[in-house]
Amino acid sequence: MAQMLQSEEVLFATESDVDNYNDQLPEIATEKYLIFSSDSLMYGIKAEQVRDIITGYTITYLPRVPGYVRGVINLRGQIIPIVDIRLRLGKPEQDNFCIIVVEVDGSMVGIMVDMVEQMVDVPLDSILPVPTNSGQAMVSGMCTLHDGNTMLELDCGLLLHD
Amino acid sequence: MGDSILDMYLYETNTLLEQLDGILLTAEQADTFSEDNVNEIFRIMHTIKGSSAMMEFSSLMTVAHRIEDMFFIVREKGMDVVPEQTKPELFDMLFQAVDFFRGEIEKVENGDPLSQSIDHIVNKINSLIDKIQGNPAAPAAEASAEAESAPASEAEAAAPAVSAVNQDYPYGVHVFFDEGSGMENLRAFMCANSVKDYCGDFVTYPDNVESDPSTSDIIADQGFFVWFRTADDRDSAIPGVKNAGSVREYQPVDAAKPAPAPAQEAPKAEAPAPAPSAQAPKADSPAPKPAPAAAPAGQQHAKESLISVNLSKLDQLLAVVSEIVITESMVTASPDLKGLRLDNFTKSARDLRKLTDDLQDVSMSLRMVPVSGTFQKMNRIVRDMSKKLGKKAKLTLIGEDTEVDKTIVDAIGDPIMHIVRNSMDHGLEENEADRIAAGKDPVGEVILSARHTGSEVIIEIKDDGQGVDTQAVLNKAIRQGLAAPDHDYSQKEILNFLMMPGFSTNTEVTEYSGRGVGMDVVKKNVADVGGTVSISSEWGKGMTTTLKIPLTMAIMDGMEVSVGGSMFTIPINSIQSSLKVGAKDVIHDPAQGEMVKIRDNFYPIIRAKELFQMEKGYENIEDGILMWVESGEHSYCLFVDELLGEQQIVVKPLPNYVNSFGVKNYGITGCSILGDGSISIILDVINVYTAAHNIF
Repeated sequence: MAQMLQSEEVLFATESDVDNYNDQLPEIATEKYLIFSSDSLMYGIKAEQVRDIITGYTITYLPRVPGYVRGVINLRGQIIPIVDIRLRLGKPEQDNFCIIVVEVDGSMVGIMVDMVEQMVDVPLDSILPVPTNSGQAMVSGMCTLHDGNTMLELDCGLLLHD
Repeated sequence: MGDSILDMYLYETNTLLEQLDGILLTAEQADTFSEDNVNEIFRIMHTIKGSSAMMEFSSLMTVAHRIEDMFFIVREKGMDVVPEQTKPELFDMLFQAVDFFRGEIEKVENGDPLSQSIDHIVNKINSLIDKIQGNPAAPAAEASAEAESAPASEAEAAAPAVSAVNQDYPYGVHVFFDEGSGMENLRAFMCANSVKDYCGDFVTYPDNVESDPSTSDIIADQGFFVWFRTADDRDSAIPGVKNAGSVREYQPVDAAKPAPAPAQEAPKAEAPAPAPSAQAPKADSPAPKPAPAAAPAGQQHAKESLISVNLSKLDQLLAVVSEIVITESMVTASPDLKGLRLDNFTKSARDLRKLTDDLQDVSMSLRMVPVSGTFQKMNRIVRDMSKKLGKKAKLTLIGEDTEVDKTIVDAIGDPIMHIVRNSMDHGLEENEADRIAAGKDPVGEVILSARHTGSEVIIEIKDDGQGVDTQAVLNKAIRQGLAAPDHDYSQKEILNFLMMPGFSTNTEVTEYSGRGVGMDVVKKNVADVGGTVSISSEWGKGMTTTLKIPLTMAIMDGMEVSVGGSMFTIPINSIQSSLKVGAKDVIHDPAQGEMVKIRDNFYPIIRAKELFQMEKGYENIEDGILMWVESGEHSYCLFVDELLGEQQIVVKPLPNYVNSFGVKNYGITGCSILGDGSISIILDVINVYTAAHNIF
């Protein structure tokens, strides 16, 4: 009973609450996630993979690549490919200019999203497996946030290599 | 720390072994060792001995030591001491020794334990030493080799060379003057004068101190020697040394027992010229400089002027430098400066530009290494194989000094070796008689050449053997299911079968080639660094394999063009010219392909807009411009919107993620960042052509 209460509390804890919680019970492992929205869904990326959040870069068109690769940008001298997550997931295109730069397997990739929401601590045990029949191939887990939204955990490796 | 010492050791030893290999090969051709060779081998063995002892690699040390001993004898007595019939044995032994060292070094690199049983090679050396000596005098020679090993070693240069100038004056005093006292030669002269008061019978080293000021450095470095006939003479003269001015320190030294042949030695030492043989390599300045002195001195200098740097640090440096170049143009071309008159700024900006250009050139050259190292290794392969296969062959190297990027040098080593082996094994005729019958020199030739064109390194491996039997290749290809039996293949297509995986014409697997891996691996390795392999051959005349490798990470001159708002760079050296044409100049073929006639030749037109599926871009041929390009055997016109101008660009590779979509096949090889921070895509003229042909 106590166990259940605990996990419920964590699930609905605000960020500061979680911090308090960590002070008391440091053994509960949490992971920081960056939440962003795309086509009214909330996605989370492990914060440790995130290198930068940028806006207003000119994207250079690259011929002969799949449509979801919007091109490349020059980020302080580095050439970084940009993947539009809407197109990648088969959603309609929209002009959105917020790019999350992540590092996957040693290379940097920019992910184009609608909007970056917030940073949250998510207890690892609250991330549940995705039901197999959901078509979201690049989602490796899901979890309910304290505001009632559901976060889909995005697996950047799958996003790139599938 | 320990690792860096080991790295140094491996690097140094490998370099020395390569050097040794080279010396041996030239010496074998001349069938003798020149005086320089002998000294050089002696020095190499001495260094290997010393450093191996330091690293406690006893097997290496022992073998090096024995060879050093042997060459000490040769050095002392000249090459004539080696009986004519022993020479081939000597060369073989040395090559074996080099292989042994290589093997041991490899073990060290892999962290494997070293060989314990080195008796066979040591015995071989010993028996050779005996043969050279012609008598059992080996122990004595060894003793003197020990004693005299000092001169060759740089590290021990300051140590007393305990060897009398003259065998008749074996008792010496080694005098050091106050450090920095200056004019050491005069102080030595005064010291000698002062000694004269006590005992008149002595010789000095250096001996012409009063007349030759250059001896002053030697004395400052190695001290001043006074040699006496007897120990008593020396004792009586000590006060004289003591009384001389500026003497910091002195110590009595006894010369080693003379080398086995004093009779031979003595006249040499009494000769009027000051530099006696054993001492000469050490003193590198007295006026009549004997030849051996030059080699070690030059060598030492070369060593000091080289440092080895981790490749990743160089890459880091290059990355920063290219950033600086880009940032510099972003600063000087900043839109904020538009319309301002800034004389001082402009001047400084110009200076900055020049400096960054220099910086770029220098840092680019850092990664460049000559191909000679890789080429030289082939000498050994040709030698070994020609012995083993009984085919006489020589290797000619052309353009060894050609410098290419380090990564390329590393990547082409194995492919070249494969091809050279192939040439030796399959290329050259089995029998000399066949060659003579064909009117060729009985000695086969393999030519290895390297040269630069603007954007590529071209490496050619050419042999004058029997060439490729295209019919046999085709038959085999058909048997293996690689070729269709009822199809007509061109010569070139048939030769390409040679590079297909699993193809090998030789029915027998030999030690050197013909394992069914070979040319396809060569092709793959070369493709890994962005290069191509092509084979040409004429039956009966030989075969040429050409590797074309782009200069990676180069800075290149490119022509900026725009298509539908995107910028592309075409390498300047593949552009023939640009031209404007009207719609009536365009000729259509039945398949709706477009062509244009330039100087009596027709060239296809490739529209970049269509190839790259751009949304925008000019449709009318009058609006845009044709870039007439040529690379390899392809020549065509690329239709683009506008010509923006020439620019020097830093080639950046595309991200791996982008490359995984195979954009290279569409002629997109890389990109570069322009002065305003925007990105331009670099086109590869050949792949654009092939892509266009596959699509349309």
